[in-house]
Amino acid sequence: MIYLDNNATTRVAPEVLDAMKPYLGEFFGNPSSAHTLGREMKRAIEHSREQVASLIGATDPGEIVFTSCGSESDNWAIRGVLATRPSSKHIVTTLVEHEAVRNLCRLLENDGYEVTWLDVDRNGELDLDSLRDALRPDTALVSTMLANNETGVLFPIEDIGRIVRENSDAVFHVDGVQAVGKVPIGLKNTAVDLFALSGHKFHAPQGIGALYIRRGISLSPLIIGGAQEEGRRAGTSAVPNIVGLGAACRLALEDDDHARIEQLRNLLEDEILKRIPNTRLNGVADRSKRLPNTSNISFEYVDGQNILLHLDQAGISVSTGSACHSTTHESSPTLRAMNVPFTAAQGSIRFSLGRYNTEAEIETTLSVLPEIVAKLAAMSPYEQLR
Amino acid sequence: MHTEAADHFFNPRNVGDAGEPSFVGRAASLSCGAHVRFSIQVDEAQRVSEARFRAAGCDVLVAAASVLTERVTGLTTAQAAAIGQAPAELSDKLGAAGSEKCVEMACNALLDAIREYSNAARDDWAGDEALICTCFFVSERTIEREIQARALTTVAEVTNACNAGGGCGSCHQLIQEILETNDLPR
Ligand code: FES
Repeated sequence: MIYLDNNATTRVAPEVLDAMKPYLGEFFGNPSSAHTLGREMKRAIEHSREQVASLIGATDPGEIVFTSCGSESDNWAIRGVLATRPSSKHIVTTLVEHEAVRNLCRLLENDGYEVTWLDVDRNGELDLDSLRDALRPDTALVSTMLANNETGVLFPIEDIGRIVRENSDAVFHVDGVQAVGKVPIGLKNTAVDLFALSGHKFHAPQGIGALYIRRGISLSPLIIGGAQEEGRRAGTSAVPNIVGLGAACRLALEDDDHARIEQLRNLLEDEILKRIPNTRLNGVADRSKRLPNTSNISFEYVDGQNILLHLDQAGISVSTGSACHSTTHESSPTLRAMNVPFTAAQGSIRFSLGRYNTEAEIETTLSVLPEIVAKLAAMSPYEQLR
Repeated sequence: MHTEAADHFFNPRNVGDAGEPSFVGRAASLSCGAHVRFSIQVDEAQRVSEARFRAAGCDVLVAAASVLTERVTGLTTAQAAAIGQAPAELSDKLGAAGSEKCVEMACNALLDAIREYSNAARDDWAGDEALICTCFFVSERTIEREIQARALTTVAEVTNACNAGGGCGSCHQLIQEILETNDLPR
């Protein structure tokens, strides 16, 4: 199988699995226990906390709190901030956020909050002036992503943070889920207050996330119970997963593969755009403003889901922003916000590479894909292709 | 989807455009963006001699359209229309639970093509009595006779009495007009 869907989830790295194994075996204690076994578990957690802190450039490990997933981190960040600021009823976010942020903010609109939805341009980029204009004295929170999951377009969180600081008292939350492990991150030199990440996007198992909470930021807990995580997040710590997350952070930091992955991505992207007619790149052309592993390409006038299924039959896994069979039956909100024409959004495919992809796999993909698209184009009812 | 449907998706039959003169029908969905086009050729015996499709949509739409082209070839337009009027049956056959809308879209494009044919054939008809229902070859005179003899008041009653209107449905408006002009005081 050629797996080009690493933005959906990634394979657990062997190094990560090895690090986890003892904690699925002999080290089974509860980290809250006072005995030797419990203390060993506690030590493992703290070691992981340091590894996470160093991958994202936190000032100290105490700023990292483990959660169950990226969505929990995002939900906690947003609800936690709002709970501490009951009189501030304004939120600023963007139209292209992940559902964890977008759907929660939609919900909050029904709960008496006013949300300013920042738009993006055709390239998927934010207009920072409109951010500046959106900020108000009663803005409680600004929430933006670092990297868009569909297009890989990066938002300039340093600039955004500066604008937020200079023009408001708002807390700045960043959904970093899609970026961590793919681009270098140094939070201590930014104005980012909260930062969500998820382990399974970079070779840790599913079911583990973390939230960075800058020293001095107060956040009401979301999950109430025991005093785990210094009383910030109740629930028995998932030690094997936490150890896995730490190991994945170490791997990302010490054995990063970004340059090689980027080269493969560039090869795939360049050759598709060159060899296949009626294709267009979704997202800014300047690659320094996109994740190094992601290419979102539209095959105009054909159906993305059809391409996906034919690639799947050829053993190649990708994802699509086309509508049918997605739960909402409407095309991707990100592509719509970017004003991607309907006939192109329908045929959009996301290729997201990872550390286990090889050049041979990319060559195979490039040899299979043109034929699939040609076959579907021959079937297309759109006159533009005739 | 069932295996047969998957086979039709991966190896769609009868892709393209029917030879001229052909009759074309389309259906599209604004909500999901799918688009399907049917073209049929009809012989003197009013049988579908060639059926072809094009589609940009999900796997179910493609499979349904492909299956339909095979099923309607060789049938009279009235028989073909009956298949197009029964999308639920086709959904069942394809194992397309949850995607009934996509099957319906393929059926609608087929019906649209048959209506195109019926309208053209009606216009071309050079017989003594005006032809109303092309699918079942029913003239205006026959329909009037039925309306008067049985005091019919709705299109459905007319269809029951003489089949007219029971196929592609392109003649419903005409039957309605005949009903109105024959709305004699009783
Ligand atoms: S013409 Fe088709 S039903 Fe009458």
